[in-house]
Amino acid sequence: MKIRLQLYILGKVMAIEGILMLLPVMCGLIYGELRNSVIYALFAIFFIAAGLLISKNKPGKVTIYLKDGCIATALSWIALSILGALPFMVTGEIPSFTDAVFETVSGFTTTGASILTNVEAMSHISLMWRSLTHWIGGMGVLVFLLAVVPMSGGSNLNLMKAESPGPSVGKFVPKVRSTAKALYLIYLALTIFEILVLCFAGMPIFDSICSAFGTAGTGGFGIRNDSFASYAPHIQWIVAVFMILFGINFNFYYLIIAKQPGKALKLSEVKVYLAIILISTITITINVLKITGGSAEAARHAFFQVATVITTTGFATTDFDKWPTLSKLIMVCLMFCGACAGSTGGGVKVSRLQIRAKMIAREISSYINPRAVKKVQIDGKTIDPELERSVSVYFFVFLLIFTASAMIVSFEGHDLVTTFTAVAATINNIGPGLSLVGPTCNYSFLSGLSKWVLIFDMLAGRLELFPLIIFLTPMTYKGAFKGLFSKKAN
Amino acid sequence: MAKRGLRIIVVGAGKVGDTLVNRLADEGHNLVIIDKNEERLTQLANLCDCMCITGSGASHEVLVEAGISDTDLFISVTESDELNLLCCTIAKQFNKNLSTIARVRNPEYISDVNYLRSKLGIEMIINPEYEAAVEASRLLFLPAALSVNSFAHGQAELVKIQIPEGNILDGKTIAYLGQNITNDILIVGVERGADFTIPNGGFELKSGDIISYISTRKTNFNFLKSIGFNTRSVKSSLIVGGGTCAYYLSDLLIKSGIDVTIIEKDPERCEELCDLLPKATILKGDGTNESLLEEAGIKEVDSVIALTGLDEENIMLALHTKAVSTAKAITKINKITFTEAIESLKLGSVIYPKYITAERIISSARSRQAKIGSNLEVMYSLFGDRAEACEFKIREASRVTGVMLKDLQLKPGLIISFIGRDGKIIVPTGSDQINIGDNVMVVTTKKGFTEISDILR
Repeated sequence: MKIRLQLYILGKVMAIEGILMLLPVMCGLIYGELRNSVIYALFAIFFIAAGLLISKNKPGKVTIYLKDGCIATALSWIALSILGALPFMVTGEIPSFTDAVFETVSGFTTTGASILTNVEAMSHISLMWRSLTHWIGGMGVLVFLLAVVPMSGGSNLNLMKAESPGPSVGKFVPKVRSTAKALYLIYLALTIFEILVLCFAGMPIFDSICSAFGTAGTGGFGIRNDSFASYAPHIQWIVAVFMILFGINFNFYYLIIAKQPGKALKLSEVKVYLAIILISTITITINVLKITGGSAEAARHAFFQVATVITTTGFATTDFDKWPTLSKLIMVCLMFCGACAGSTGGGVKVSRLQIRAKMIAREISSYINPRAVKKVQIDGKTIDPELERSVSVYFFVFLLIFTASAMIVSFEGHDLVTTFTAVAATINNIGPGLSLVGPTCNYSFLSGLSKWVLIFDMLAGRLELFPLIIFLTPMTYKGAFKGLFSKKAN
Repeated sequence: MAKRGLRIIVVGAGKVGDTLVNRLADEGHNLVIIDKNEERLTQLANLCDCMCITGSGASHEVLVEAGISDTDLFISVTESDELNLLCCTIAKQFNKNLSTIARVRNPEYISDVNYLRSKLGIEMIINPEYEAAVEASRLLFLPAALSVNSFAHGQAELVKIQIPEGNILDGKTIAYLGQNITNDILIVGVERGADFTIPNGGFELKSGDIISYISTRKTNFNFLKSIGFNTRSVKSSLIVGGGTCAYYLSDLLIKSGIDVTIIEKDPERCEELCDLLPKATILKGDGTNESLLEEAGIKEVDSVIALTGLDEENIMLALHTKAVSTAKAITKINKITFTEAIESLKLGSVIYPKYITAERIISSARSRQAKIGSNLEVMYSLFGDRAEACEFKIREASRVTGVMLKDLQLKPGLIISFIGRDGKIIVPTGSDQINIGDNVMVVTTKKGFTEISDILR
């Protein structure tokens, strides 16, 4: 392990967190929340100063292997979450450490699962920070780091690989830095566009900004107790559309900007994703027609809820816990499905399901024609056997973590649906589940242990399991500290 | 460096391709690599900031995907000469401003170079075997040197020598050298163990130091003679391994009247060499056979050049030569990369065809890039990238022109190594000055100079 490199990245991440914290400070000053603003400002300054101090020693030319990328990612995210939780505790709004960390991790991992019983009692500055964590976590802080801090060497891709969602991480342009910049520019542009559209649609500016951050990162922290239920229907439509846009693979936008719309429209993942949304919406609309007031409302609720769950955002306009079983089941399935790879959404990702489905098809055909040579192809490109293997392993590891987490949470003695969907909603970074953790409820009633399990699930889900597992594997550190001790001995 | 990187496409991720891509990526260019071998590409993509495309570099579709239409430089270094030429020709069709570089190794094409350049519009035809042979021959003409590089169209040379035990330079300062021995050469770098310094007048030389100096060819001989080095060219050479490089080298050596003996295993190749090089002595046999080497006169010849296809064999041969004879040994290393280990073996002169090729291509890329927004003409990296030599063309009056060099407030770790004026090379002293129209070469450990005035504090 390269300690200097890790410290350097960690320091820069801290400094970035501090700089971003200045945005809520500005917001707090506008709303006259002086005490909280001072607290946040002090933290921001402390993070910037400490971060710069830690990252003072620039590592020389080092190669970042995938292992180092995984460690850096896990370390950065854990640090980010714990540091981000401190202001909540100091302002006294979330005094418990576990709760504050839960809320922050839920923010950064774009889960949107909250332990707050009364969101409206929070100060504006804390609400803004909560929503901003979604925005940072959505595209990833290391991608941001790569975009703004010039780093030597080409092995930086391993940082991006470890953080970005999706089975394989590609570059639009030859350079990692330019790719990271392009990603963030698209992200920023779409976010600003949403803020403007929402303002124009009559939403208050503070609400628009927070909602846009929540949508962009596919997070799901609402700033009202009833999430989106009390906003006007046309605002709900706008937000639903934007959620779907942020769940699309960002390659799609890049190809459009690069004036290759033909290629963009050919991306099969996006097509499958949109098809799933369409079919689910229609099915649910028909299914819930009886219990809602008219077809327009049914369609709106169905569309919004499908969008919020498949993109793993987690806003709500209605309590889907009260829906018929078929609709609820579709929602649970969508939770696992997740958005496109290379988007800000969580879940298993459409492309993984695609690969998996095609592998099953191949397996079936191999029974029929045992000698047939067949390869799994997506968008006309053959999927590397390595990638196939990693997708298979991913599914199994996902299942293992899921089961283990559900086991631990089940010790609390809640009903099966609560236990199952609490884990599903956190590991897939959605937020609300069903029953006791449904859209109108929250996670505050869970015990400390369960909360920590869910915190782990959220991080594991956002970072796609392996970085966190590698971080926690003792084998990773074999011989890492050898150099450190022998130096001291000299 | 704030300069925009070039857009470069490299076809072929083999030995040279790999070295090239790594170096070019370090210099901040936008790289796209095309190769048919997916595994090699994946390996490269994991460690290097570039984009990889699987496919043939001669395919229209692949080239479009690689973004050929707004590419600045196209380099084809696959195993096959014909494919390289085809790739460059096709690439050129997309974009008339594209510079193309092809690697062509087969001696059959060597006489076609001018034709290929003018008719196919290929800017540079690079032949690693030939380049390696030229470098080896330079060393054989001046066996005292560890390496000889030429600058400014061959007018200036950068020579590297090691100061032996008891030499008159041992314990002398650079200033002493200037006052008492010669003023015609300029020491631009001293390597002592792992340290590298650009020396000033007070720097004291020690035996064992490896010094690099700039001189012209003529003054170089005088200088070496005056410090007690042997400046005679070798009289006889024993070449082990009769590949393409051996052919080029023998040809060069025979033309200068040096006796050449080649040992080659393959009987058919021996016949071929006999036809190609009637004046050379061709011995059929295994070059690692000690008695055969003895018979070939390893103890009597002036130089032994190990050019077999196996790096390990070449290294062993060089070590054996050092052990049994006083001949100058030159080792060719094709593939292996254990640079530190090879350096510690003290093989004397080592030539790496892949580095020579990469270096040539990189300096071409640099000059192209340099022309964007600066008056930097050429840039070379020296001493394992620890220093850079930048050549500037002085087009207008500035703070550095018309002032005696000793009055300039230069940055530390920097030396003005030569001034090219009216086709002549001036090795500068403190009383020289830079005029408009000069070419000035600066050797520096600070990187990223774009203007001549960057040398000032």
